[in-house]
Amino acid sequence: MTPPVPVAGDAPPIVATYGLGKDYGGVAALADVDLVVPRGSVYGVVGPNGAGKTTLLSILVGLKQPTSGSVMLAVERERIALVPDTPSFEPWLTAREVVALARSLVGLAPSAEAVDATLRRTGLADAADRANGGFSRGMLQRLGLAAAMAGEPTLLVLDEPAAALDPAGRRDVLDLVSDLRGGTTILFSSHILVDVQQVCDTIGILREGRLLFQGRTRDLLAGKAAPAFTVRLRPPVDGVVDALEAAPWVHLVERAGLDRLRVTVASTDAAETELVRSLADAGARVVGIAPAEVDLEHVFLELTG
Amino acid sequence: MNLWRLEWLRLLRTRSWIALAAVFLFFGLLGPISARYMEQILQRFAGEVSVTLPPPTPASGLEQYLGNVMQIGLLVVLAVAAGALAFDQPIERAAFYRSRVRRVWTLLAPRYVVVTLATVAAFVLGTVGAWYETVVLLGDLPVGAMLLGMLLTSLYLAFAVAVTAAVASFVRTPLAIVPIAAGLLIAVPLLGLIGPLRDWLPSVLLGSLVGLAVGVPPIEYARPALVTLAVTAVLLGLAAARLQRREL
Repeated sequence: MTPPVPVAGDAPPIVATYGLGKDYGGVAALADVDLVVPRGSVYGVVGPNGAGKTTLLSILVGLKQPTSGSVMLAVERERIALVPDTPSFEPWLTAREVVALARSLVGLAPSAEAVDATLRRTGLADAADRANGGFSRGMLQRLGLAAAMAGEPTLLVLDEPAAALDPAGRRDVLDLVSDLRGGTTILFSSHILVDVQQVCDTIGILREGRLLFQGRTRDLLAGKAAPAFTVRLRPPVDGVVDALEAAPWVHLVERAGLDRLRVTVASTDAAETELVRSLADAGARVVGIAPAEVDLEHVFLELTG
Repeated sequence: MNLWRLEWLRLLRTRSWIALAAVFLFFGLLGPISARYMEQILQRFAGEVSVTLPPPTPASGLEQYLGNVMQIGLLVVLAVAAGALAFDQPIERAAFYRSRVRRVWTLLAPRYVVVTLATVAAFVLGTVGAWYETVVLLGDLPVGAMLLGMLLTSLYLAFAVAVTAAVASFVRTPLAIVPIAAGLLIAVPLLGLIGPLRDWLPSVLLGSLVGLAVGVPPIEYARPALVTLAVTAVLLGLAAARLQRREL
């Protein structure tokens, strides 16, 4: 079996998979996945629902067995912590007890100071002695993170950690992940691409169980995205849209408000020579033209669409 | 906090210990009274018909107690055991434990041992209650026979919890585990219909408390005790092996 190609310029991998596959009753949830997670990175696994993200993470932490392929872990199992998308604990345990239990499960000495520090870091100090059965979804997510961090993991695996949180809760979770950067390798699955773009330096895109892309986020944004321009016009813009869509060098015209268009083009050269002329020919009243900021969502849609 | 304390807290905070103690103590206190006054109780419902029963003996007090507690009490034991041993539900909670613990026995052992000890403690409590009332109402019981009978019946209860553990390795939810485990425990005595097996079955131990009290030689229970010990070990091994391989 061919080893996966390391992500160029990155540290040696802490996790690598070789031709990883998983079937459920003949249906392939994962197929031939060669994942390489550089040590110290914040690696985002992105993909639509059903892409195989949770299955992949479950295999990496040992909760599922692959049907084919293998996993290389350059870290002891006890130093890997998983935070599922909806963490759950015995509802009659207090937050302090959950964190203390999490430490003991990985063989760390009981330490009230360490438990308190983890609870403070995750914003749960005030709820330390409350049973978690009464916690909100956001507090449970924090407790899941606290339980994971309490084990002082080398590899932290987060499955959709902010999927069901309100904006403030999401911000808090992303801040926590950012705080952990450097000391801990983080493997982060999400279908919220803005989150991934904000916190992940490395990215893998899964669709229908296959890894479509793997590499640095900045390389993906720079290299894989088709060039696009934001055009600001005086309304109405309908005629301009029709004219641009008819041009052979235009891939896509998207409306971004009443007076704004996002024009994805075949090449920057074509746009720079043709865009202004086409707008003038269409009788457009142009207020401004600028290269569009590339975001992960557009790249993702191009790769998976 | 560790997994042993977690199980202790599960008993306390889910009030499982109250359910166990209450059911065994209730039947422990009720059994000898109902044996002592069975004739009068039946006479109240018999109307004109005269009811005459043989005079109650100390053993019949124990029989009444065990007859009730090994049905309803055992169901409560199975429910408490299933609640602790169904540790792959819900999956997110199971992920917390399973992703951190390499050997599933580390999780299984405290759950099995704590539930078994709590069950035995409840059984001893109920039996001591039945014993006291039997002495007061019906007459003395031999101390040695009672202690040995409690030990052998406790062994059967440990076997019943092991059956629950094994069933929990095949099905995941307590609602499914309890009826299947109960069905298996009911089925065990039926194996006694096969002549040579009759004296070897764990269910023979259920009669040990009364049998020893009326003078059955202890050696009669040696074979089923050994079989029960061996089957309990096999069931726990089976549960651990299956749970170790089971995916979430």
